[in-house]
Order: sequence, then C-alpha cells, then structure tokens
Amino acid sequence: MASSSTPKYNSNSLENSSSKRTLKDGTNWEQNEEIPRLPGETRVTDKDVIYMCPFNGPVKGRVYITNYRLYLRSVENDPVVVLNVPLGVISRIEKMGGASSRGENSYGLDITCKDMRNLRFALKQEGHSRRDIFEVLTKYAFPQSHNLLFFAFANEEKFSENGWMVYNPMSEYRRQGLPNERWRVTFINEHYGLCDTYPSLLVVPYNATDDDLKKVAAFRSRNRIPVLSWIHPETQAVIMRCSQPLVGMSGKRNKDDERYLDIIREANGQISKLTIYDARPNVNAVANKATGGGYESEDAYPNAELFFLDIHNIHVMRESLKKLKDIVYPNVEESHWLSSLESTHWLEHIKLVLTGAIQVADKVSSGRSSVLVHCSDGWDRTAQLTSLAMLMLDSYYRTIEGFEVLVQKEWISFGHKFASRIGHGDKNHADADRSPIFLQFIDCVWQMSKQFPTAFEFNEQFLITILDHLYSCRFGTFLYNSESLREKEKVSEKTLSLWSLINSEKSKYTNPFYTKELNRALYPVASMRHLELWVNYYIRWNPRIRQQQPNPVEQRYMELLALRDDYIRRLEELQITNNSKISNSSASSASPSQMVSQVQTHF
Amino acid sequence: MFSLKQPKPTFKSYLLPLPQADDHIMSEPRIKKLEPVLLPGEIVVNEVNFVRKCIATDTSQYDLWGKLVCTNFKISFITDDPMPLQKFHYKNLLLGEHDVPLTCIEQIVTVNDTKRKQKVLGPNQKLKFNPTELIIYCKDFRIVRFRFDEAGPESAKKVCLAIAHYSQPTDLQLLFAFEYVGEIYHNPAKKVNGIDPGGGGGGIGSASGQQTPLFETYSDWDREIKRTGASEWRVCSVNEGYMISTCLPEYFVVPSSLADQDLKLYSYSFIGRRMPLWSWNHPNGSALVRMANIKDVLQQRRIDQRICNAITRSHPLRSDVYKSDLDKCLPNIQEIQAAHIKLKQLCVNEPFEETEEKWLSSLENTHWLEYIRSFLKHSAELVYMMECKHVSVVLQEEEGRDLSCLAASLIQVMLDPYFRTIVGFQSLIQKEWVMAGYQFLDRCNHLKRSDKESPLFLMFLDCVWQLLEQYPAAFEFSEMYLTILYDSARISLFGTFLFNCPHQRVKESTEFAISKNIQLGDEKGLRFPCVWDWSLQFTSRDRLLFHNPLYIGKSAPCVQNGAVKTFKRAKKNYSSTLRGVPPALKNGIISEQEFLPRRNSLILKLKPDFLQQAESQSNSMEQYFRDWFAKPVDLHGVILPRISGTQIKLWKLCYFRWVPEAQINHGGFITAFHKVSLLADEVDTLNRNLRQYKSNSSLQGNCSELDQSRMYFRANSLNDTSGAPDFLSSSFPFSPVGNLCRRSILGTPLSKFLSGAKIWLSTETLANED
Repeated sequence: MASSSTPKYNSNSLENSSSKRTLKDGTNWEQNEEIPRLPGETRVTDKDVIYMCPFNGPVKGRVYITNYRLYLRSVENDPVVVLNVPLGVISRIEKMGGASSRGENSYGLDITCKDMRNLRFALKQEGHSRRDIFEVLTKYAFPQSHNLLFFAFANEEKFSENGWMVYNPMSEYRRQGLPNERWRVTFINEHYGLCDTYPSLLVVPYNATDDDLKKVAAFRSRNRIPVLSWIHPETQAVIMRCSQPLVGMSGKRNKDDERYLDIIREANGQISKLTIYDARPNVNAVANKATGGGYESEDAYPNAELFFLDIHNIHVMRESLKKLKDIVYPNVEESHWLSSLESTHWLEHIKLVLTGAIQVADKVSSGRSSVLVHCSDGWDRTAQLTSLAMLMLDSYYRTIEGFEVLVQKEWISFGHKFASRIGHGDKNHADADRSPIFLQFIDCVWQMSKQFPTAFEFNEQFLITILDHLYSCRFGTFLYNSESLREKEKVSEKTLSLWSLINSEKSKYTNPFYTKELNRALYPVASMRHLELWVNYYIRWNPRIRQQQPNPVEQRYMELLALRDDYIRRLEELQITNNSKISNSSASSASPSQMVSQVQTHF
Repeated sequence: MFSLKQPKPTFKSYLLPLPQADDHIMSEPRIKKLEPVLLPGEIVVNEVNFVRKCIATDTSQYDLWGKLVCTNFKISFITDDPMPLQKFHYKNLLLGEHDVPLTCIEQIVTVNDTKRKQKVLGPNQKLKFNPTELIIYCKDFRIVRFRFDEAGPESAKKVCLAIAHYSQPTDLQLLFAFEYVGEIYHNPAKKVNGIDPGGGGGGIGSASGQQTPLFETYSDWDREIKRTGASEWRVCSVNEGYMISTCLPEYFVVPSSLADQDLKLYSYSFIGRRMPLWSWNHPNGSALVRMANIKDVLQQRRIDQRICNAITRSHPLRSDVYKSDLDKCLPNIQEIQAAHIKLKQLCVNEPFEETEEKWLSSLENTHWLEYIRSFLKHSAELVYMMECKHVSVVLQEEEGRDLSCLAASLIQVMLDPYFRTIVGFQSLIQKEWVMAGYQFLDRCNHLKRSDKESPLFLMFLDCVWQLLEQYPAAFEFSEMYLTILYDSARISLFGTFLFNCPHQRVKESTEFAISKNIQLGDEKGLRFPCVWDWSLQFTSRDRLLFHNPLYIGKSAPCVQNGAVKTFKRAKKNYSSTLRGVPPALKNGIISEQEFLPRRNSLILKLKPDFLQQAESQSNSMEQYFRDWFAKPVDLHGVILPRISGTQIKLWKLCYFRWVPEAQINHGGFITAFHKVSLLADEVDTLNRNLRQYKSNSSLQGNCSELDQSRMYFRANSLNDTSGAPDFLSSSFPFSPVGNLCRRSILGTPLSKFLSGAKIWLSTETLANED
C-alpha cells in the first residue's frame, strides 16, 4: 500500500504476545470479551481450553482464533493470564492423546512454535471439540498449504511512515559514491533474465560489459555472479558477493570468470591478490565439486588468494538451535548450564560467523584489498558475512534506517530464501530447507551491540521486533524467496512493510546511549570469553529467567534525561521571572539563560 | 585468533640485535638518570641495567629498555621509553607504571635459553645458571617478563635472587609496611603524597569525604547499634587489651541480657574463645549473629541454649533463632582456593586460542561461578529468614572467621542500602572482615606459606559485583572501585589487609617498635596507613572513577512515569520498637511460625520436626522470592540476587583486564558508563545552578562548588561532543599492554622448547629443574 497520510492506527505490537500477566483493568474487563484486533483481522472461532502453562501450571481460559492470531485469556486467574501468538510463528500442530486417553489434561493440542516455545492446550474429550480447532488452526497457520493468502495481504493497518520507501537501491549506491569511473550500475537483470534470485539493479566493474556478465553467469551457481555490495570510501576496496564457481569434478575453468575476477581486483588499482573468502569449511567446498560446484583453484586464479571460513551449513545450524531450545525451554538446564550451552555449539557458530566477518572487514579496511565472498549459493552464509562486515565498516548501517537498508539490501533483495528458511505459512515443519540463518545474523548483531553499547542507534527491542515479524506474516517484508517473486505477488503494493511499524514509533526502538560516530570500524572480539547467550530473546518466555525490563542502566539514563529536561525548564522559568523582576539592571554575573544555553550546547 | 590490527610503526622500535657497543655508549648517560622513586623506609636492594621488558606477544619491536630494581617494597622497572600501544594509564601514586609490589608476586621463574633450563625461585635458593629471562607471575593475574640479553649475567642473577628473597619473607615484621611505619615514626615530617599516613583514621580524603568507621573503638559499635535500632544489644568491653581472645576485636556487641561474667565463662567453650558476635539488626528486630563452634561437647547444648535464649530475648518478638551451619552448606576454603587456581589457569595461564573451544565447560569446571552462586543463594535464603520469618540468624562456622565474613557481609549488602554506599561498604569490611579476625595475612598469603591461602575476600567482591551487575543503580561505587580494592590487598603498606586479627597488629608492631626504639606512648601498637585513605594511592580526580554514575542516592530526585519526584526512603524505621513490624505480628502471632519448633529446641536444622516442615518452608521461601522478583525493585530496600546459571557471570574487568586478546577496543560497558557520567554530571551542574539561583547567591562566590563533580567524565570538557574518548576499552582503566606476553623463541612456544615442561602451569605442576 502506498504512503498514507491518514491517521495512524495505534497497532497492537507483538511484544504483548508473551505470556505475560496483565493486571485486571477494571471489573468489566472479564465480561468484555473484546480481544485485540488489527484492521483487517477477522475472528474465526473461540473455545474454552486449559492452557498448560509450563511455568504456572494449568490455566483455564478461552482461546480466540482469528486469521492472524491465537489469543488466550484466563478466566479464573488473577492477574489475568494472556497469550497473544501470531499464527505465523506456529511451526507444527499435533494432537496429543486420543479419545480413550485417561489422566487429567492429557487430551488436546501441542503446538510447536518457531520462536523458542511450545504451547499446549488441553480440551474436553467429548464432541469433536478438538477436530474443529485443529482444522481452523491448521488452515490459518499454514495458508500456503491451503491456497490462502498470508495475513499480510489482509492487513489494513495504517502507519505514518511508509517502510517501502526506506530502501531505494539507487540512492543507497549513490550514498556509497557509486557509480564512479570504475564501477557502473547495470540494468541487465531488470526483468530477472540474468539471475532470477538477484535484484534488478546491480553494480559491476566498469570494465566488464553486460556480455561478459552473461558469460560469467554461466559459470556461477544459479547465475549469481560476483557483484558489488559495498565500497570503502577511502581505500576503494570493495566487498563482492556471488555463488560458488561451477568447477565440478573435472575441474572446469572459465576464462571469462577468471578475467572478471581480475577486473574486480584491478578496479581498486591494487597490485596484491584478490582475496576470496569461501564461507564453507574446506571439506564442504571440496564435496560440492561432486554436485558441480567447487571453489576457485590456485591454478585458474593465480591472482587470487582463497581462504575457507569454516562456517557450517544450514542443516548444522538448524540442529544447533534445536539443541539450544532443548536446554532452555521450558526449563533451563541449570545443573550444568555452561557445558550444556557449549554442547549446543550455538555460540561457537556465532563465533565463526563473526570471525569470518571480521576477517572480511579487516581485509577491506586495514588490508586495503578487495574481497570476494561466497558459499555455495551465496544467499545464506554469504549474506551473513557481507552484511556483518558492512555493519562493522559503515556506521550508517548502525542507525535504525541504515540497518533497515542493510537487511533490505543484503538479505531481502539478494535472495535470502526467507520463505524456505522460515517456512512461512507452510505446514511441512520438517522441511530440510528451514534454517535459522537470519536469526543467527541478528544474534551476531546483538553480540556486537553488547560489546559496543553506544555504537548502535537501535536497541534490543528493535532486534526482537524484527525477529518476531520474521515469523508473524503481518508484514510483507520477509515474505517470498526473491525480489522477482515479490514483484510478481505485488508485495509492496498489497502489504505493509515492517519498517512502517518501526519507523512510526522510532523512539521505542532507539538506544539512549547511541553516540553518532562516523567512519570508525568496529571490530567485536569474537571470543567465547565475550559471546553470551541472548537470554532476553531465547529465554524470554520463562518468567523466572527474564532479565529486568526495561534494562536498569537504560532506565536510569532515561530518568536522568527527564531530570535534566526538568531542571532546564525550571531554570528557564526562574530566569523569566527573574528577568521581569530586574528587567533593566544589568546583571554582572552570568545569567541563567547563559548557563542554560551553555549546558544545552553539549547536546 | 588472527591479529586484527597490525601494530602501527609509529613508535620507536628496537630491533634486535642492537650493536652492543653503541647501545652502551648511547645509553650510559641516560641510564644514570633512571632512579627509582622510593617511599620512606624503602631501600634499593639490588638492580641491573640494560634489561628488556617484553611488551608484545609476537614481536620484540615494542620492548622497553631500562633498569630493573628490587627494593624492599616492590620490583621496579625504570625506563625512559614511552609505553607503546597504550593510550591510557591509571596512575597509582605508590607505584610506577611498571612496578609490582613484592606482596603481589605469586611466582618467580628464571630461564636460561641456551642451557635450556628454568627454575622457580623460592627464598634462599641458589641459582646454578645465569638467567636470560625472568618471568613474574602476579597474584592479580598479570604476567610480566624481562630479558637479560644485554645485561650483566651476574647482576641479573643477583636481582632475581633478591626478588625471590624479598618477596618471600620469613617473618611478618619483614613486610615493608613495618619499615615504612617505623620510618614515619622516626621522622614524622616524612609524608607520602602530602598526607600523614600515620593516623590510620581512614576517613581522610576518602572517596566520599566521610570518615569510615573502623570499629576499633567502643563508640563505632555503639553508633552501629543505634543506627540499626538494636536496642536490646550492648557493646561489650570484656576483651579490652585482648584479655579474653586474641582473635576477637577489643569491642564487640552482645545481647543485653548476657552479663560480662557469663560471657567470660562461656568463652572457654568456644574455639579461639570466639564468643558470638553481633553483626547487624534488621528493622524488624531480627539480629544477624556470627558464632564459632562450641568445642566443649559436654557444655555444648547448655551454652548453645543460653546464647540462643539471650538472642531470642533481644528480639522484640522474642522470635526463635535460626542457625545456619556454614561449614555444611557452603564450599570450604580449600575448594575455593582450588577453584581460584583453576580460574586463573584458564583466564591467563593457558593459551588464549586453545581454551576457546572448551571455554564454557572449562569455566564450569573451575567451579568458581558455582561457588559464587552458592554464597549468593545461601545468603539470600538467610535474608528471607530475617526479612520474612522475622527470626534472628546465627551464622555458625568452625572458627567463625572465614565463610562467616563472606556470608555476614553479603547478607548486609542485600538488606541494608547503607552498605551499598562507599563509606558503608568500607565500614562493612572493617566490621565483618578486619575486626572479626579474617586472616588476611594467611589467606592472602603475604608470607608465601601457601597452605592457608584462599581468596575469600575476592570471592566476596565478586559476589558484590554480581549484585552490582544485576542492580547497577543500587550501589554508590563502580566495578572499578571493587577491582582496585582487590588490588589494594596486594600492597603491603596498608595495615587493613596485613594481619590475621587486630591483636596481631598490636603485638607485632609493639615488638617491632621496641626493637626499633620507637616510643609508642599511649598507643596500642603502631598505626599503619589505612587502605580507606584512598588519597595515598590516587589523586582526587582519579578517585572519581570509584563513583557509579547510575547510583540513586537517598536524597536524589528520581523520575517516575516521567514526573520528577523527590526520592523518599522506603518506610522502614530503623528502630527497636515494633513500629516497623506488620500489625499482625504485633499481637505476637506469626502466621508462618508453625514451622518453628517449640521454644528451647533451637538448633532447627537438626530437628526432625523441622525436617518435616522443610518442604512447606522451602515452598514459602520460593513464593517469597517469586513475589519479590515480580515487584519493581526498591533500590533502597532489599535486593536479592538472581542466581540462575544464565545470570551468574564472569567478572570480566577483574579477570580479563590483563589479557590483550580479550580487550574490546573502543567498547565494553565503560562506553555506556562514560555516556551516563556525562549526563549525570550535567544534571548535577543544573541542580547546583538551580539551587544557587533559588538562593540568589552570587555566582562568582560559588564557582568552586560548580567545579566539584562526582563524575570522572565531565560534561563540560572540550571533547564531549566528539563521542567517547579514544582510550576507552573493556579493560579501562587498566591496560593489558605489556602483560601476558607469552614467550616464543623464533616461533617455538616456550613450552615445546623446554622439552615438554609446561611453564605456564601453576606451582604444583611445575617441576624445578636446575
């Protein structure tokens, strides 16, 4: 939908969806069965259930199902227990117990969610009550599997900002000083003819013709040719991204590809070798030869130097997250917490991704050398590495809008397969294509923000909100696998952007400690000594573990800000009354207005 | 891990080998000026020139040239070369940039490359080879390394032996503090840093400008009784002149109902004649008491009952006593020491990269965090007993001077906001550690008789750090303060951390005074400098780093829902009457009291009827914790630790500050600290302006007040618009430059070079070879 100037709808944002307890708001509340609803959200059904809360025991309540969410409110508890779950987070719905099941609360539904929790509802055994709710939930949680549209297409929310305007590839490249005499913008992929998983607009070396690009595409997996992601404003060294070369078992070579990589190297005027970072472990890269892939050999690319970054594939990451969930949900494995955490390898993978990104960034910045990054297809690990390296090198991406641009550019437009990796609206929960690659990227960003508390304009809530709507299907932002598919589905016309929600309430997502700094490369320490589990995300459903909200340091800072404003206001008032009193007596000493302005100038 | 930034060649580099002759000619006049800065009473024992201090791990290009001096107080490396790669140095007035106090040395290793020999130097040992290298392992996790390639072999050897000898004295009176104080008594005109250190008064120029009560006098205890409203307790003077016990303070507090005569009688039954000591009173009247075990088995039950009855009588509700046998529910000092050794091993001794893969499980295997957790957990449970069950708590321990110190002080930090101020915290350490007879001499192992060493004091500071981390606005002090306090225990100048008990100071220093012909007059022993006299170590500006910019003082205004209100202290009357007790309790009905057994059965933990009710008690305790955590925190009330494994963390500033690989440049919590400081400073300034404006006083007249700031980082410094200063890092205010520079000879790690002997291991595993 286009930018709208109509008054914004004060939407109910997702962070209310936690199973947190809300206090009763007046006596009529319980009778008033109004549940939060977004414009365009329609009620489908409701039913009395028992919510088997893993933390507080069984909770009697009523569950309401809409085309967007599952909402539960307790009927007896005080304070009221509320569950507000977008159907998009549901990964799997299972029936537990049969008609003959005995034992209390043994008959019902077991719901596995994508956001590190499970929900269990006990139902009455009589009268097919379960079948109805199971069918309704399945239909609306997995619209893709039922030929239905995502809720995003029904969403009629209005925001003061239009998030679809945030990313304009042309202006982003212009911000980087592109095109210039060495790099040009090509429209060769305007109709996705060259590569259907790439964006329409690409930046390539000035000295490579469109014809060259076509030839190179033939030698790169899924035609994902090396294109520019970022250029260093001073060294002019660039970060290029692509997929693996189609070397195969026979060790095929391609003169055009070899020449193209040399053109990239020369574009920076550099004499040293072009650095290629293959994100995969060496063995995986070799194994890929069997399926026609591979890596750049020294013989074929004498002017390039290749390093493997040892980052594992999507399957390893999926299993690692599964293990992590096992030790944090519903209960935290307390007796051997650290070794249990270690055995999930989650932080180790985070470390490898960050280490890889640091190497890329350092090569471009300190090494003044252009780099080429790829993995197999160049849409998972490659996106992680290029976007994190860019975040380290370019302070613009550390702003709220800059980060939105970064995600929009390196992830969404360059074909990270969000639909496949998340399984939006798809009932096939065991799909081997699913993997928490984007979550891992956001975790890396969070790790960086922990190490540099003043370097990012956005706060933790911003990152959590992005992850929540990665699954919710309320916005079109993360839907579909590629730009071409999104265009076909007219996503930007028919749905809202997540950035509309965020940019309409920026203050909520702003880090109060943010200190604007230009052109400082930020290198986190990618060591297990500093990496931490993101408790506020992974263990947020556990009321006993959840950390203080809001963060006490942030809260204190906000209080001090309010105090400062209050003092300034009072000083100004005193100054006005004083000035009226002694209007013409030339005050010899500094007047309060001077004092105030002195202080204010620092901010 | 690969190195991120190649060191920039902006500094003078000394490439090896330097032509020896040239070096001599060029350095001779310069080296002559290299003289150590000495304190009164400090003498140079031995020195060697042309020593190279190693700076970086992988290169010798940053190494510094200078003179290595051993005095009776420190080892000092004196150089004209500027410290490379380091942007900030937090200066201790007692120590130079490269100095290590002798009491901070843990182990001295000498190495000879060509003979492939190494030896750990003990006192009075011989060295059969000329060392080419000296490695000093420090108790504060530093490792410093010197090379003697260009130095005279004999002089180098002599210095090494001198360091070994003087850092491992055979007698307490050989510690530098005695020499220093003796010198001050002989020449009262000598002052360090312009301050008279002889007073020991503690308060002079302390960080907050207030006096720290030392609890050496009757009146300090009396004030503490009044402050906490413990009206049924009295100061007892039976131990004046240490007539009863040599490991108790001269004055302490006991139940009013116990007569001096009875106390004297009972004292014989306690280990070390350490009769029960009152620590603190809860506003509801519950007392915190610490007590040694009763060794007299026959008398045990009777005395125990008499004591407990007296404590009960001192409770306004006549509540029973809850006894906690710390030896049974907390790790012992040997376990804590073992954990500390493992932690140190992991943090600094083992190669950084090799420990990465198994870091988390290795950290778990040290048990350090587990022990931190058990202290926090147990203390919180006792807080519950006092706060919620309204019973007095007795901490029982064999001698009552180790685990009790930690538990008693942690409980008070959680319960009483006064102990979360700087002066309050210092008084707590005086009260529960120094005066209660925590054996600093043995536990810090100042004399290197290693079997009694245990880092209980560090563990306490670490526990407090965990609370500070969880409640950053509840403490007046910063984590820098805690770290520096820990370091100060390793400087053998302060009487505070030098002795096993107050009596030892009196006895040893009187002996010393007699031997040195010092007239003591009326004084009981020599007065040593007090660690709370922070001006001895840091300038007033540097002391500002002790202040936590997030702290909300009692009278400070706070903001609630955007509106500024003046903070009101939570309604808790520190009074002995029943005013502070909920009405239901005034009638003597304690609803939860069912679990308490009948009167006179005082050792609750051992009673079967208690065990039956243990479950309901633990349920009600869990409920208490759950309810407490569900409510917003009152920073001026009780604070309770979160003790899940995910919430107990490693104190990185303390343990990683010397590890170059772990340093986050331009980052770390300090960058947020900096930002908060600027704002807090601005708010302070505005507040002062407002007050001045209201009182209509002339601005010029109060300029000095305007200049006063609590903050180290000031809002009106010139560079505050340009963001955080360049020198901030996760190690700030410390710098890992020149530390842990592991040795490799032509790319070969030393461990391999030394035919498999692991030089980075601790004493036990390191075999002496010579």
